[in-house]
Amino acid sequence: MGGATAGRPRGFSVAWRRHKEALVLIAPGALVLVLAFLFPVGHILVLGFLGEEGVSLEHYAAFFVDDYYLGVVGRTFRLAFVITACCLLVGFPLAYLAARVGPRARILLILLVILPLMTSVVIRTFGWLVVLGPGGVLSDFLQAIGLTGAPTGLLHTETGIVIAMVQVLLPFMVLTVLGVLQRQSADLEEAARTMGASFWRVLRTVTLPLSVPGIVSGSLIVFALSISSFITPTLVGGVRLPVLAGSIYQAATGSFDWNFAGVQSTLLLLTALAVIIPYASLMRRRTSWQTGAAPGAGHE
Amino acid sequence: MATLKIDNLEKRFGAVAVLRGMSLEIEDGALVSLLGPSGCGKSTLMRIVAGLESPSAGTVAIGDRNVVGMAPEKRNIALMFQSYALFPHMTVSDNVRFPLRMRNAGGRPEQTERATEALAMVQLESFADRFPGQLSGGQQQRVALARAIVSRPDVLMLDEPLSNLDARLREEMQMELIELHRRLRLTTLFVTHDQDEAMSLSDKVVLMREGRIEQEGPPDTLYDRPASAFAADFMGAANIFPATLSGSTLSLGDGALSFAVPADVAAIYCGGAAVLRQEDLVLTDVPEDWDVAVPAKIRTRVFLGGRARYRLTANGLDFLATVAKRDIAQADRGTHLAWRFDAIRFLPR
Ligand SMILES: Nc1ncnc2c1ncn2[C@@H]1O[C@H](COP(=O)(O)OP(=O)(O)OP(=O)(O)O)[C@@H](O)[C@H]1O
Ligand SMILES: [Mg+2]
Repeated sequence: MGGATAGRPRGFSVAWRRHKEALVLIAPGALVLVLAFLFPVGHILVLGFLGEEGVSLEHYAAFFVDDYYLGVVGRTFRLAFVITACCLLVGFPLAYLAARVGPRARILLILLVILPLMTSVVIRTFGWLVVLGPGGVLSDFLQAIGLTGAPTGLLHTETGIVIAMVQVLLPFMVLTVLGVLQRQSADLEEAARTMGASFWRVLRTVTLPLSVPGIVSGSLIVFALSISSFITPTLVGGVRLPVLAGSIYQAATGSFDWNFAGVQSTLLLLTALAVIIPYASLMRRRTSWQTGAAPGAGHE
Repeated sequence: MATLKIDNLEKRFGAVAVLRGMSLEIEDGALVSLLGPSGCGKSTLMRIVAGLESPSAGTVAIGDRNVVGMAPEKRNIALMFQSYALFPHMTVSDNVRFPLRMRNAGGRPEQTERATEALAMVQLESFADRFPGQLSGGQQQRVALARAIVSRPDVLMLDEPLSNLDARLREEMQMELIELHRRLRLTTLFVTHDQDEAMSLSDKVVLMREGRIEQEGPPDTLYDRPASAFAADFMGAANIFPATLSGSTLSLGDGALSFAVPADVAAIYCGGAAVLRQEDLVLTDVPEDWDVAVPAKIRTRVFLGGRARYRLTANGLDFLATVAKRDIAQADRGTHLAWRFDAIRFLPR
């Protein structure tokens, strides 16, 4: 009895102290978040609903009646899906390799993957213009091996955008998946081998399922970055293949239609959330074995 | 089921030689325990047999197949990892079923049934639907054990299978292992740090030291006739003294303790140390009854379940003696440390 009554205030004060510590710790981040993110975003969201005289949906109406803008939204998401899938297809094997080789080879591989991050995205994109353009390296190569007769090129095509974007976003996928793979003990794969599973079967039954958390975070990062990116799609795709972010930029700086930019921003945010939230919760269910861990086993 | 034949196996990691010419034959259906200090290469040996590591030299044959270079999944072996290596994303039941699933052994109902059987053997059938992260360390170890035996491999290798269990459970699992082995006659190699376990479970004990075999043989041979001070020490003999024989007088510990021995004891002296096993020593207050008796002083006594262990000093030498429970009262009154002549063993120099 005495123990229980004495214990409660103490437990409470411990909880409160933790609470205070947590508050102090998140304060700077929260401040930045409010000033630099929530406030401007909120402002833009409001702009979309402001007409000539007060609240109105006229800008939304203008957006939805125009097939052109629906096409822009469609292209943006189509590209983001393809880019994410390609990053995963290219990035997972790379991350797997980096996770399973020796420490020195791993550093080399990681450097190779993040090296592009050290140059500006603008410069990298201009590089792709040179490679993908009609007189570019790719065109010459295709001609040389006899696949095409005349100078071609992937400039101003969605394929071109995907190639350039995958290169830009690959490091995010590789590094995220690598983190998960490295924490995964190699014992598990070896044990599975001794139980009669071939390399590919181990990959399918052990490695991949255990990498789901990394694959989810990697895909979400890449997806979010690709629907909101505009430099690379605009430069590689040109004016005939606009994406949502480019269109917002155009509305805000080209025609100074801030209200219309607000509409498009709101729609970008909502559609992105509509994809990301179900995906994340679906994957969370697929990895329920993690959250069901015993006390002390550590949560993520 | 098959014989396992390891011939002149060597393994180097860079400049470090971990195995230096190991040769070992395990007969079909034998249960062999691998004993040796930490880092002597026990796990490495098992990994090579499993195909997870390739040998620098030498061969490994399972049955009449030379398996060097063969992929691990083709070898039909089972290796229980020291780290258990349970799949965290599969239930206990699916973990145990995994080897059957990968080898397409029967339909799913049959696999599940065999998995349940194996889990029952380690007393975990009620945990079948949990995930490994929800089990204690000892429970995880037993799941790993069940998973190793479920597929009835040609060669079963267990790397310290019972190290994480409490004494009672460990004894039960030892019984289970012996019964399982009697029933299935799987060729089994298991690592243990516990020489009692090695003695009680195995047909043969292999004692390793720095990548070589120090001594191998039936458990009682290793126990009664250790071939070296290392073996004697490892098999739990605590009283090892340098010994010299002149005429019929044996001197222990550089002359600290001398006594006359009969001709048959003198005959087995082979130039090295003398060994007196703990349980062959007695504490007595009637020294006349014994072949050798030395006044001794008891320094400490610890109880070990059914026995007590004494640390004593006699003639400046330190001794350890183990006494059965019913003799403790008598031993506490003891003034002399005593033994029979036939308790004396000798080691070659
Ligand atoms: N991949 C490796 N690279 C380098 N050295 C290694 C490697 N694997 C093992 N070793 C070394 O080989 C030696 C033997 O290791 P091993 O794991 O076989 O020992 P062990 O007998 O199983 O020991 P324990 O009883 O502690 O499990 C150790 O000194 C270890 O450091
Ligand atoms: Mg080991």
